[in-house]
Amino acid sequence: MTATPLPPQPPVPTAEPAWRRLDPRTLAVHAAWLAAPLASTGLTALATGGRLDTRTWITLGAIASAFAVLTLIGLVRWTRTSYRVTTSVIEVRSGVLTRSSRSIPLHRVRNVDLTANPVHRLFGVTVLRIGTAGTADGRGELSLEALSRAAAGQLRAELLRRAEAATAHEPTLSTLDTRWLRYAPLTFWVFGGVFTVAGAAYRFLDDLGIEPWRIGPVRAAFTAFGASALWITIPLALLAITVLGSIGAVVVYAENWWRYRLEWTDPHTLRVRRGLLTTRSVSIADNQLRGVVLREPLLLRAGGGASVRAVAGGLGDEEENRRRSALLPPAPRAEALRVAAGVLREPEALLDRPRLVAHPRVALRRRVVRGMVFAVLPAVLVLAVLGALFTTVLVHCAWVLLVLSTPVVVWLARDAYRHLGHGLHGRYLLARSGVFSRDTVVLRRDGVLAWTFSSSPTGRRAGVVTLTAAVTAGEPGYRIPDLAEDQSVAFAHAAVPGVLAEFLEPVPPGPTR
Amino acid sequence: MTQPHNLRLRPPRQRIDPRARRWWTVQALVLPAGPMLLVAIALGVLSLLFFPGALPWLGPLLLVVLVLPALAYLLVMPTWRYRVHAWELGELAVYAASGWFWQRRRIAPLSRVQTVDTVRGPIQQAFGLATVIVTTASTAGDVKIAGLSDADAEELASRIGAAAQHVPGDAT
Repeated sequence: MTATPLPPQPPVPTAEPAWRRLDPRTLAVHAAWLAAPLASTGLTALATGGRLDTRTWITLGAIASAFAVLTLIGLVRWTRTSYRVTTSVIEVRSGVLTRSSRSIPLHRVRNVDLTANPVHRLFGVTVLRIGTAGTADGRGELSLEALSRAAAGQLRAELLRRAEAATAHEPTLSTLDTRWLRYAPLTFWVFGGVFTVAGAAYRFLDDLGIEPWRIGPVRAAFTAFGASALWITIPLALLAITVLGSIGAVVVYAENWWRYRLEWTDPHTLRVRRGLLTTRSVSIADNQLRGVVLREPLLLRAGGGASVRAVAGGLGDEEENRRRSALLPPAPRAEALRVAAGVLREPEALLDRPRLVAHPRVALRRRVVRGMVFAVLPAVLVLAVLGALFTTVLVHCAWVLLVLSTPVVVWLARDAYRHLGHGLHGRYLLARSGVFSRDTVVLRRDGVLAWTFSSSPTGRRAGVVTLTAAVTAGEPGYRIPDLAEDQSVAFAHAAVPGVLAEFLEPVPPGPTR
Repeated sequence: MTQPHNLRLRPPRQRIDPRARRWWTVQALVLPAGPMLLVAIALGVLSLLFFPGALPWLGPLLLVVLVLPALAYLLVMPTWRYRVHAWELGELAVYAASGWFWQRRRIAPLSRVQTVDTVRGPIQQAFGLATVIVTTASTAGDVKIAGLSDADAEELASRIGAAAQHVPGDAT
């Protein structure tokens, strides 16, 4: 495999592309505010049995004239707004009385967001926002409201193709956008942080010889808590912990990632600078870089975010590596994909919905069984036994828990299985697994030091093995769980040709296993 | 994948020294089977002497929790391990199989080999056995071949060393 430094350039469109319009359904979206007064008038009409008094007629008239005026304005604005993408810029013309025209060089386009609120979704349109490099405060943004979903998708593809081609020349890969702070509460720190701080405070007081439980106000608070209506105070306490934890998480995020900047200082050195009070700067030589990991833990994934880590040697031991290999904090997934692709100097498509080979169906069953055996059944059994011994309430708790948690386990297992996969892409091998922390690993094939095929008794019966690729990096090995046996061999053999060859034999014909 | 799925990894060709079975048995006796049996015997004797009433339920409990697992481990593990453990030095790579309940097959290309260590523990020395550890730049890439006879270990270590030098590579 030889390296291709740049993705092939897309075909350049004709010199003077046509101006394009926004979607006419935008007018309908703008008229959506009418729904509320119309609905209330309708309800009045229903309540009065269809007879409308003069006031209602006046209201209806006002609504109608407002609708006419606004629709007219909207129509004029719609006819006067247009955009086009030339070979080098995206241009947007707008304005009714004062005509304005903005253009953004395509190589400065960093991300393209598509957002649609429920009204947009109802009409099948979406708002497209274009973010550019260097401006985090919104000045560099440009938005088109609204395009049909198809047109928006097409425009995004056009913009990003150019952006990708430019990435290789642009030394700065990413800088902090303060809006990313919204992802901070989606990390471990929300609950973990509160308990860590509380634990530290307790330890501190303990060292001083103070027992917090004996302090008057604390004891009073706990007594009051116990005496109060628990169905109010417990949610309130949880809410308080969540709010406190979120604030803490934002503080931690800011401390770690303030003035974050990821850039190529020279063509062979990647540098991450970040931190508010403690500033960090980590440089990674590209010959030490073995790949990247796209991390999408459950909560962050639900919020549409992801973070990126480097797989690189020379960053110290496992602990050090964990701190130093971070390339991107929790950020929008699109940004994470862009950074990962920029670091690897590969097109973004590599990580966005990569073409992965699915694992055998039995992997799904194993996930369901694992979830039931290790998470659900122990709790159910304990409850059932306690219930049988002491009170029937717990027996009911047991079966309710079983009934409620089984679909959750099945759903999680299905999610885990659907995203389980592996594949080869140019000089990289890809593997994705996990449900609570879903990691997509992209490893350089020539960085694989050794292959390990491991199997448990149940795995052997099911005919699956776990393949581990050893690499020189903080994390010693990267696991690809639950591959079919022949699949694992074929994959390792294809990924690093030659190493396995002399230990292979054809599968004898006839029934296997 | 375009590769046809009709190949499989065969077991490594070389068996380890049969004495390894005894080595593993002794090792299992030292930890954990021996202590488990001793605890069971001590508890049984104490209960017989001082609380004979407890025997009807303590006896079966000790049997199930301590005695049977210890005996099973002692009897099953060494033979099972001996069936699984194997190794082979190929042209380009070194290949080893290990484990018993959980099994592992590992292949490391000779071009990635950094060092070859020969280790002899106290019990191994008594049986004239050795373990060869082929290290790479990652702990997940270290190939460990346990239970070789001293002579085999020496020979294997020098062969791997020589082979690793002939295969070009930067070992990272």
